[in-house]
Amino acid sequence: MSENKTALFSVRDLVVEYHSGQSIIHAVNGVSFSLGVGETLGLVGETGAGKTTIAKAALRILPDHSVERVGGEILFEGKNVLDMGDAELRDLRGKKISMIFQDPMTALNPVKTVISQIAEGYKIHHNCSKAEANQQAIKMLEMVGIGADRADEYPHQFSGGMKQRVVIALALACSPQLLIADEPTTALDVTIQAQVLDLIKGLRNELGTAMILITHDLGIVADVCDYVCVIYAGRIIESGTKEDIFDNPAHPYTKGLFAALPDLDKNVRRLSPIEGLPPDPSQVRDECDFYQRCPHRCDKCLAYDREMIELSPGHFSRCWRTEE
Amino acid sequence: MAPLIEVKNLKKYFKSAAGMVHAVDDISFSIEEGETVGLVGESGCGKSTLGRTLIHLNESTGGQILYRGQDVTKLNKKQLVDFRRDVQMIFQDPFSSLDPRQTVQDIIEEPIRLTGRLSKGELKEKVIDLMDTVGIEKRLRMSYPHELDGGRRQRVGIARALALDPKFIVCDEPVSALDVSIQAQILNLLMDLQETRGLTYLFITHDMSVVKHISNQICVMYLGQMVEKAEKEELFARPLHPYTKALLSAIPTTDIHHQKKRILLKGEIKSPINPGPACRFASRCIYANESCQQGARLHEVSPGHFVACNRVDEINKDA
Amino acid sequence: MAELLKEKTEKKNPEHGHGGYHKGENRHRHGRKPESLKPGSLKYVWNSVSHNKSAVIGMVLLAAIVILCILSPYICPWPYSKMNMPHAYQGPNLTHLLGTDHIGRDLLSRVLYGARYTLIIGITATVISAVLGILMGAIAGYFGGFIDSCLMRFLDIFQAFPTLILAMAFCAIFGKGVDKCIWALGITGIPGFARLMRANILRVVNMEYIEAARTINCPTWRIIAQHIIPNAISPIIVEIAMTVSRNGLTSSSLSFLGMGVQEPKPEWGAMLSASRDFIRDYPHMVIAPGIFIVITVLSFNLIGDAFRDALDPKFKD
Repeated sequence: MSENKTALFSVRDLVVEYHSGQSIIHAVNGVSFSLGVGETLGLVGETGAGKTTIAKAALRILPDHSVERVGGEILFEGKNVLDMGDAELRDLRGKKISMIFQDPMTALNPVKTVISQIAEGYKIHHNCSKAEANQQAIKMLEMVGIGADRADEYPHQFSGGMKQRVVIALALACSPQLLIADEPTTALDVTIQAQVLDLIKGLRNELGTAMILITHDLGIVADVCDYVCVIYAGRIIESGTKEDIFDNPAHPYTKGLFAALPDLDKNVRRLSPIEGLPPDPSQVRDECDFYQRCPHRCDKCLAYDREMIELSPGHFSRCWRTEE
Repeated sequence: MAPLIEVKNLKKYFKSAAGMVHAVDDISFSIEEGETVGLVGESGCGKSTLGRTLIHLNESTGGQILYRGQDVTKLNKKQLVDFRRDVQMIFQDPFSSLDPRQTVQDIIEEPIRLTGRLSKGELKEKVIDLMDTVGIEKRLRMSYPHELDGGRRQRVGIARALALDPKFIVCDEPVSALDVSIQAQILNLLMDLQETRGLTYLFITHDMSVVKHISNQICVMYLGQMVEKAEKEELFARPLHPYTKALLSAIPTTDIHHQKKRILLKGEIKSPINPGPACRFASRCIYANESCQQGARLHEVSPGHFVACNRVDEINKDA
Repeated sequence: MAELLKEKTEKKNPEHGHGGYHKGENRHRHGRKPESLKPGSLKYVWNSVSHNKSAVIGMVLLAAIVILCILSPYICPWPYSKMNMPHAYQGPNLTHLLGTDHIGRDLLSRVLYGARYTLIIGITATVISAVLGILMGAIAGYFGGFIDSCLMRFLDIFQAFPTLILAMAFCAIFGKGVDKCIWALGITGIPGFARLMRANILRVVNMEYIEAARTINCPTWRIIAQHIIPNAISPIIVEIAMTVSRNGLTSSSLSFLGMGVQEPKPEWGAMLSASRDFIRDYPHMVIAPGIFIVITVLSFNLIGDAFRDALDPKFKD
């Protein structure tokens, strides 16, 4: 987002295609963004928009057997992740970039104690003794609010919210520079979600970790992020600071998302949904991705070149009619 | 006028290896014809069990369910068949609530076909009519559920529930598996159907903004018990139970300039197995003291506003 | 198989990577069934299976074996049990197309005639295990609780013994012969089917569409027959195909141990076992029945896989 040269992490024209049966799924179609040290970026979009694919591409953990093509660049500290060898990747994953997954139930190994899972990664990356790693693990667990007395327990002995705390401790154990959180609270109840979001925010501020938060919930973005990219059909359709997006949403899709939310403070009889459905990701289109559902569509949108238009410094929208 | 459904001291316990699970414990409320009662709570609080027990998918352990004055728990087989025609359910997961081997036509016509009232041609017409009502294109009549997206699948589930012209529908998290833009479509559909067909809903959800949008009355559940019950406006304007307050404050808001002060609860939900007599929220409540060990009964604090908290007056002195 | 290979070569060819449209059309032509066909209906299954290349290969192979088996009394060049000591140990030649065994019996005649024993034992035993196993599994899975525990503990007794030992025990009780062998194999196969069926029923019973069926007044028998069994049956179909081939193999073990088909009846497994002493010097004696066993097993497995795909509507693409 910050267009300075010291960007910690940047993505340039990322393209990811999967094959599925006989067709090609265009999951990510030319996504670019960058993120500076200590900044938090929210990637917002609906199911199938390509958010998780972007995150997985950043760590090179896309499922090899179904990926057709990965194009573009993913730069971390100036180095292209897509060109890295195995040794470099091992160094990158966990130590420099780590990830929190949506489902805490499946992210932990059920047959190992939580302390040994956290210590393991630390030991590998720091080449230290077991005692030292365990010490660090206990420190991490205490930081996420789990007492040392529970360190020797197994994942199934923790509740959902506590498990997600363990996952966060695991992700932060090696003090990564970038944390990618993929729907970290979607599987949790709203009061637990509040606790976990608070924890993530606190740790981020304390450790100065840059963060990419992937979510479908605009409320969470409003709470946590500095910058926002709205993703639709594998493209960023609007990006800017949190204030840009929430105060002056420009793209018809972003506006539609806000209108479709039931508002706690207002009483409306009917919601205003976005009619129709997202486009078929296996088809290549000439028209704007949002054409079929857009209330402002016109003939010119049928052959749209998909350029981002800068509305104000740093606020981009992929709709040529935005200014009208 | 008597309410359409009246629940009195309903209990539903399950046996488990560790003891009795008190999924629904001594709950009473009523639903007037044509209104929507929202039932909110977190996962595991027993709200789905309550919904299922209400339409007799589960046998209740104790208490009464009166439908138009008749006790549902004491119906014989024939009466149950008639009762099931009047009450229906819309399920949470549009992926598992439709039989993958049936076409849209099969799914929607099955309830009517089982009554044996219509001929094949009439069935087809009726199905097309229902599909039109819920907004599914006619061309999808012979499609299978896995060929449809989540929103359309949920519409098929709604069409099936409407097939027998029910009076009362239990909606169990009907929109929580859907994306925001689709969620709004389904909520609008449900509200339109209520208006045109005079339906009564029990709307179960964990999403406070959804429940506020659709309900007239709201019941808040915690660990099998009802902790607060009030008119929608009253509940949102004046939440009295500490749990309701925390729940409302925890909803993420999209207003970036007025972020709410969150009430963070300590700890996590207790287990519903053999919960004991104390107030079940006490372990997480910032106001808890010794008096909470006696447990709390639901009582009326102002007309139509019920709360189950012993210290409700002290807590809300300033308000 | 052929399709799988095609897909793999396409993956390697980058030009195909952008041919999304072509592939899309292709999928439309093959994958979409005409609207009136219902998954589960015989016509639909047949349509799907007959469009599956590997299944067609399997069916052709199986049909060939069945036809040869039926015609064997008329086309066999020699009586299957005729000894001819001067012709013993011959390799394949014009008089004996597959050679002869250690007492000069014509192997081709024996193999063709033997097909009926292997097929009859394999299929009948599997039908017995499948019918009883599915029934017990379905009852245990649907009703659960006490009935479930009783049935399953009872089946545990069977499973405590290795299949072959158990089959031998049954043969020892019932006596020798083809029919006894069928019962022995049929009964020992019950627990496998029952467990598989029970597991699948448990998976399906907890689906919301079963609850939905109850809310629309669907009678219990109809829920089981219409909603549960069709959704739980597809893994069973594959298991049936596999069991037929496995039963063929086990029956030959029994024959070898003197408990199944009796000499001089030419059961393939018995032939295989009888010739193993000569495997170094006269390998043709093992190869002849061996090839037929492999072909039969393969054809059942190919057909089983195709049926599984045809019975699952999600496998359309």
